[in-house]
Amino acid sequence: MKRLSVVALAGLAFLATEPVLAQTKYPVSPVTLVTHSSPGGGSDVFLRELTKHLTPVMGVSFAVENVRGGSGAAAVAKVAKSAPNGGTFYATTPTYIQTSLLSKPEVGYEGLDPIVIVFLDPEVIYTRAESPFKTLADAIAHAKANPGKAKWGAANPASLERIALERLKRTAGVQAAVATHEGGGDLMINVLNGTLDFGIGEIQEIRSQLDAGKVRLLGVLTDKRLPDFPQLATAKEQGIDLTVTKFRGLAGPKGIPDDIAAQWETTIRAVVASDAYKAEYGKESLVPAVMGRAEARAFTQRFAVDVTNNLKELGVIK
Amino acid sequence: MGLMTLLASLGGVIWGIFGGALPGISPSIAMALLLPFTYGMEPVNAIVLLASVYVGAEYGGSIPAILIRTPGTNSAAATTIDGYEMAKMGRAGEALGISLMSGLVGGLFGLAVLIVATEPLAAVALAFTPPAYFALGILGLSVIASLSSGSLLKGLFAALVGLMIATVGTDPVSGVPRFTMGSPELLGGIRPILVMVGLFAVAEMLDQISLPAWDRTEARDTRLKLPSLAVWRRTWKCQLIGCGIGTFEGVTPGAGGTIAAFMAYNEARRWSKHPEEFGKGSVEGVAAPECANNVVTGTALVPLLSLGIPGSNSAAVLLGGFMIHGLMPGPMLFQKAPDVVYGLYAGLFAANIFMVLVGLVILTPCIWLVNRPKPYLIAFILALVCSGVFAIDQSLFDLGLVLGAGVIGYGMRRFGVPVLPMVLGVVLGFLVESNYRRSLVLSGGDHLVFLQDKVALGLLLAALLLTLYSLWRELKPK
Repeated sequence: MKRLSVVALAGLAFLATEPVLAQTKYPVSPVTLVTHSSPGGGSDVFLRELTKHLTPVMGVSFAVENVRGGSGAAAVAKVAKSAPNGGTFYATTPTYIQTSLLSKPEVGYEGLDPIVIVFLDPEVIYTRAESPFKTLADAIAHAKANPGKAKWGAANPASLERIALERLKRTAGVQAAVATHEGGGDLMINVLNGTLDFGIGEIQEIRSQLDAGKVRLLGVLTDKRLPDFPQLATAKEQGIDLTVTKFRGLAGPKGIPDDIAAQWETTIRAVVASDAYKAEYGKESLVPAVMGRAEARAFTQRFAVDVTNNLKELGVIK
Repeated sequence: MGLMTLLASLGGVIWGIFGGALPGISPSIAMALLLPFTYGMEPVNAIVLLASVYVGAEYGGSIPAILIRTPGTNSAAATTIDGYEMAKMGRAGEALGISLMSGLVGGLFGLAVLIVATEPLAAVALAFTPPAYFALGILGLSVIASLSSGSLLKGLFAALVGLMIATVGTDPVSGVPRFTMGSPELLGGIRPILVMVGLFAVAEMLDQISLPAWDRTEARDTRLKLPSLAVWRRTWKCQLIGCGIGTFEGVTPGAGGTIAAFMAYNEARRWSKHPEEFGKGSVEGVAAPECANNVVTGTALVPLLSLGIPGSNSAAVLLGGFMIHGLMPGPMLFQKAPDVVYGLYAGLFAANIFMVLVGLVILTPCIWLVNRPKPYLIAFILALVCSGVFAIDQSLFDLGLVLGAGVIGYGMRRFGVPVLPMVLGVVLGFLVESNYRRSLVLSGGDHLVFLQDKVALGLLLAALLLTLYSLWRELKPK
């Protein structure tokens, strides 16, 4: 014990005399970034693109590890149990909060400490090119005029998108059947063949159909218009007070020192502002929304409370 | 086509055959394991590599299906029926040869369909509404009666248990977790591959342990035998059936190789001149499913390339491969990256040829391996199965599921309950349930929706006819 504290003291003294070094050099290498998504999946691609730009700035190497199983619970548990030395992080998305709420995993979302939020994924409402609807307001008006005839679709049953559509029904005061699917592909088929009035999803999921002119965007559920689609009105502008926030960030085990957290915030801010990275995430219409640790903690907490309330209203959880 | 593309194709096929032959490693997992290595490759080579893994794995899955009654992949389950019977009669080499050549026929046919008919077939995929998918699943389930090997009641019971297993996980409509007992491991449901590995591989090993040492090595044909002209003459019709069904099932997203193989087996038996040989080592019973599941390696790419919609897990991994290289499959792919599309066609053609060459080389050692003394072999296979399952997600839970399914499978064999209907139930349960309920959500609870949709009506009528025919055949006085 004694020897340990002596070593710790020596370490502190070293840090105290070398403040500049402590700020510029990241203490651990390689840094492991864990995701629940499989190679090629959303978070996996996010991490691999991010690390390409992080490596030169932070001067350490990164490893992306795909820990699948338990709808994200396995990856969360692995990171929660790792040493809080800044060497292991988990790529957060709303999934890890939902999994904690829907089941009783060994370690829930509270077991991790958010360190940064990097992006927000905008959600858009889209329909097929042949559809009579030009805007979200059109589709809502149709639903109002034909009670019980409106058909909307979301990719997964317990997803943020499903919650968004249920909230849309309530906000707009209309009735509609909300069909859920086994992923974005199934949903796209039912939008393209006209089974559904519209679907909800991320730009990236519908990009190929959008480029080919097979689907049309009706509205976006963000506060501001997207830079890539300046002509696309937000739901708010169309008189429907609904915004949906889907986020991407990093979280680590509890007890990561403040200087490491601060270093992440500075680095992420710098990387997100770089032109090379901008060009890449711009293609996916990701909206940069960098938050440091304190902000990210509050944001995640608020998000979890919102989702809990929404899932309760849907009757999914008690 | 460059040398690197050819090498990617060859490497993919070899990796695929081994991955497919390992029980527990499905084609999509074999592909996903390679995905991280494709980051630095040329886009064409990366896509060809992944697609070739798929081709190789669909063939590789039939090797353990024939030799040790354990399908290496989901879609090789139907091959176990007659393939293993042939192996027991000492005709393993012949069965493997038929599987290989039928796979080649199927693979090339599927590729031809992909090249020629992608555009019109994309329309077929879009014609499938939720009611139509429900009907498609029912059509698949109509095969149960013919898989029940004599006891219809036991077959129906097994299928019901399979359907019940498929209800574990997140409710497809409300999102409420069902039968998960609070465990996050079960939120995503029980994967069919785990059930199958347990029911086939583990149960077979338990069964073998209880039997006296086998006399397998005696008087056995341990050499690969390519089908003779007489065999070709007998199998061309079932290969034709396999081609037709494989095209249909591959093009409709969500159906896939497993159902294609089962339905092809069923139809081959119906149209055969020797239906009595099925289940007792029929060459046609090996040719039909093996041809069908290789057709799917080509046709499953139709919705992916034309619509950007992955129709199976393997296609989803391939989609990931496209996206890593900044390519987005879909209507614009043919304009934006024609070199990748045509490179993929050429690579798939090469992969089918390589499949035969590699297959010829490795079959003899495989057969030799299976004829080693029983205690070694059983220990080796069980170790292989366990490490394969564990490798997927490093999950001890999955391992427990597999071993549990193995004990159940062993019990089913003791009591003469057929396992294939159960497998079919697990594979199709979710498709049937989710589309049934989705249809009703959309129709406001009106069941007439299943009769109003023309595609659904046609498929349901076909299912009814097939069931009645099978029942008549099973129940008629012998």
